[in-house]
Amino acid sequence: STLPAVAEELLREIKKAFQESSHVPDDLLLGLKFIFGPSAVPALDLVDQRAVTRVTAPSGRTLYQVLGSSGKLYTCYSSCHFCTCPAFGFSVLQKSESLLCKHILAVYLSQAMGACQELSVSEEQLTNILLAEEEDEG
Amino acid sequence: LCRGGLAERLCRLQNRERSAISFWRHQCISDDKIPSDKSGVLIVKILEIFEECTIQVAICQQLEQSPVTFSPEDAVINAEEPILKVLFTRETAAHLKSRPQDVIHIYPPWQKLLLQNADVPVIMNTYFSQKVLLSEHSEAREKTYGLTKMLIRKNIISLAQTFRLDDLDDELHQDPSDNQVACALQIHNNGGSKQHPLALSAVNDSLLEMVESQGAVGWREVQVRVVIQRVYCLPARERCRSHTQGNKPLCATPVTNSDPPNVRLCLLVQDAYGMFSEVQLQSLSSTDDIEQYCRRWEGKSCCLAGMKILQRTTRGRALGLFSLIDSLWPPAVPLKVPGQSQDSEMMTTNLPPPSFCYILTVQSGEIRVEVDEEEQISNLYQPPAVHGLKEILRIGGCNERCSFWAQVLYQRLQTKHNVPIDQRDILLFVTDSTLQNVVYGIPKVVAVSVTASCVLSMEIREALSAGSRLVFFKDALWGNGRIICVERTVLLLQKPLLCLAAGADLSELTGPVKLDELDSTTQANSVCALRGTVVGVNESTAFSWPTCDRCGNGKLELCPQDRELLYCNQCSEVVTTPVLKMQLEVFLSCPSRSQSTVKVKVRHEISVGVSALFVLLTMLLFLQTYEVQSVLGREVGLLNCYVHSVTSHPNCVALEEIVLL
Repeated sequence: STLPAVAEELLREIKKAFQESSHVPDDLLLGLKFIFGPSAVPALDLVDQRAVTRVTAPSGRTLYQVLGSSGKLYTCYSSCHFCTCPAFGFSVLQKSESLLCKHILAVYLSQAMGACQELSVSEEQLTNILLAEEEDEG
Repeated sequence: LCRGGLAERLCRLQNRERSAISFWRHQCISDDKIPSDKSGVLIVKILEIFEECTIQVAICQQLEQSPVTFSPEDAVINAEEPILKVLFTRETAAHLKSRPQDVIHIYPPWQKLLLQNADVPVIMNTYFSQKVLLSEHSEAREKTYGLTKMLIRKNIISLAQTFRLDDLDDELHQDPSDNQVACALQIHNNGGSKQHPLALSAVNDSLLEMVESQGAVGWREVQVRVVIQRVYCLPARERCRSHTQGNKPLCATPVTNSDPPNVRLCLLVQDAYGMFSEVQLQSLSSTDDIEQYCRRWEGKSCCLAGMKILQRTTRGRALGLFSLIDSLWPPAVPLKVPGQSQDSEMMTTNLPPPSFCYILTVQSGEIRVEVDEEEQISNLYQPPAVHGLKEILRIGGCNERCSFWAQVLYQRLQTKHNVPIDQRDILLFVTDSTLQNVVYGIPKVVAVSVTASCVLSMEIREALSAGSRLVFFKDALWGNGRIICVERTVLLLQKPLLCLAAGADLSELTGPVKLDELDSTTQANSVCALRGTVVGVNESTAFSWPTCDRCGNGKLELCPQDRELLYCNQCSEVVTTPVLKMQLEVFLSCPSRSQSTVKVKVRHEISVGVSALFVLLTMLLFLQTYEVQSVLGREVGLLNCYVHSVTSHPNCVALEEIVLL
């Protein structure tokens, strides 16, 4: 597969550019639009709003929580591409039309630009966050 | 959107880009010729197209100049010219309608991206692309092409692959499992004298060294020479991980969205030191080639290059793979001893079988497996040992791989309807001369279960349903008194060229096939023959229905135009001579199993020639054939039946009459 490598390289370029000049050039933004399509602008919006939080527990386990536009909190995993939002279930899982949803893209962009909020929680609290997702959808 | 934020900026850029694109497209149409400004224009010829997440990926060759002077047929692919991967958005792709061999002009602004581990540059932002039509002749062809829809392979992306934004240095850290070089042969010394990476283009003969040198400079040039022990297909695990919550699986639709079956051709190879590896090659578009690959490749040597390590697996985690490896152990010839001179060899009689195995795959886009088809079969090759079914039934162990040549008598598909046909389990009833010729003590027919993970070619599927065929089962699994065909089992229609036929009789069966007679040991999901006397009829089960004489469809409908005619919507035609099928359950008294109530669903069919009289005829035949009085006391036998169920309370056996293939 080609697309993941291309997406990864694009994100790395963004990180490099940001680290060097605290600025993301236009052509990289347009590249985001090209690869990620309609998710690009909403993902950047989430980054602008500092909506991504990295949640870590003492064991090293991490996950990401993204505050969506509707006020709902979505959880994204760090070990694989997964998000609890309905768009992920539809566009990525079911239709394979997108690589990522806007929340996962926002997570990567926030990582690249150092825009993640950090939150340390206990093991139990992290477990509860993960289990809470199951209860919601169960 | 935030004022001054990135999203707002992208919005503005995007709007500007969109206007530029529509303006450019409009200009192209109205000018009706290639715009004269050639600077910065990328000219490419498409070689291959596939799709990933609505982005169309085209593998292209970059051309030096636009070939306006000659037709596409003249253009010879120059091997020196660079290869590019050009990406197109869904919208651009729909506009271009490109096909392999098309020439595309890509106008600026486009972007080039160089990936870390790949040699092929990627071209993005290809909105301003135009297909070049070279002559009047091709314009007409273009129009006809436009009518036929081209099927494009769609790659499903794994969600397990995340993006690493960290620096390159992190990538060179070895996977922890690679560091543990467990001793397969208990002689290979990890810390001791190890040969330095060989000259880059020389051919190595050790898989372990190739694997260990991954990540070092020039490792991609290393070639390893191995022997192909087995060729088979594995179902590709392209589906996403299913996120199960309680009993509700939340996963994608099963892998049926692509028309070609998702299977990968795999090789089980062994090097001169005895180490095995499973090499997963490309996805096959058609499983019909598997028999060809088996015949041409098994037993031959080949050179592998540019492999990527997918996994290092152990015996405990890959029982199926290791049962196959065990069947190839001990090796046929003495093995080389690593670290010592070329001449010394190791006797293999007491060596324990390997406990780990590397699973390799091909680097993206590169297939560098060169098989010496002309060469002779290698001495290291161990062909499948073919046994008669009688011997196989006597094998003591569990999870043993076995190969045999048998005649398929009857096939039964699993009845789950929400599973597509090619993923259903199949139950086959087979026999051979070793079972048929024995009078007493062993069954005459054996059941073979084919699971969905055993890849079957269309040819085999048709053969199994159609006629009584002899089928070669290679590397089936025997255990717990059952034969099952799983992953890595291959079903073939032709006898293998080379096999160890230890006492097996590969000749065809002479005379009619005999089934075991129904008796007290008969179990459910088996086949048997029975004879008896009709003692009762279950009239409520009497049923008749018309079926299509072409395809056997049992759900015919009345023709909308003419309510007297029958219509088959699978054939999309009127059925003029339907086949009338009738079924009825009768109770028999069978001397071979006198304690049980034996209930048999019998079927008959007749072809009804005159469809206009159909209804009347049905009634007459029905009443005539199943007049109860005339049926009671009749002798029935020898019926071939499939046993649905055997219950002890009440003591009853339910069977269905079958027709053997």
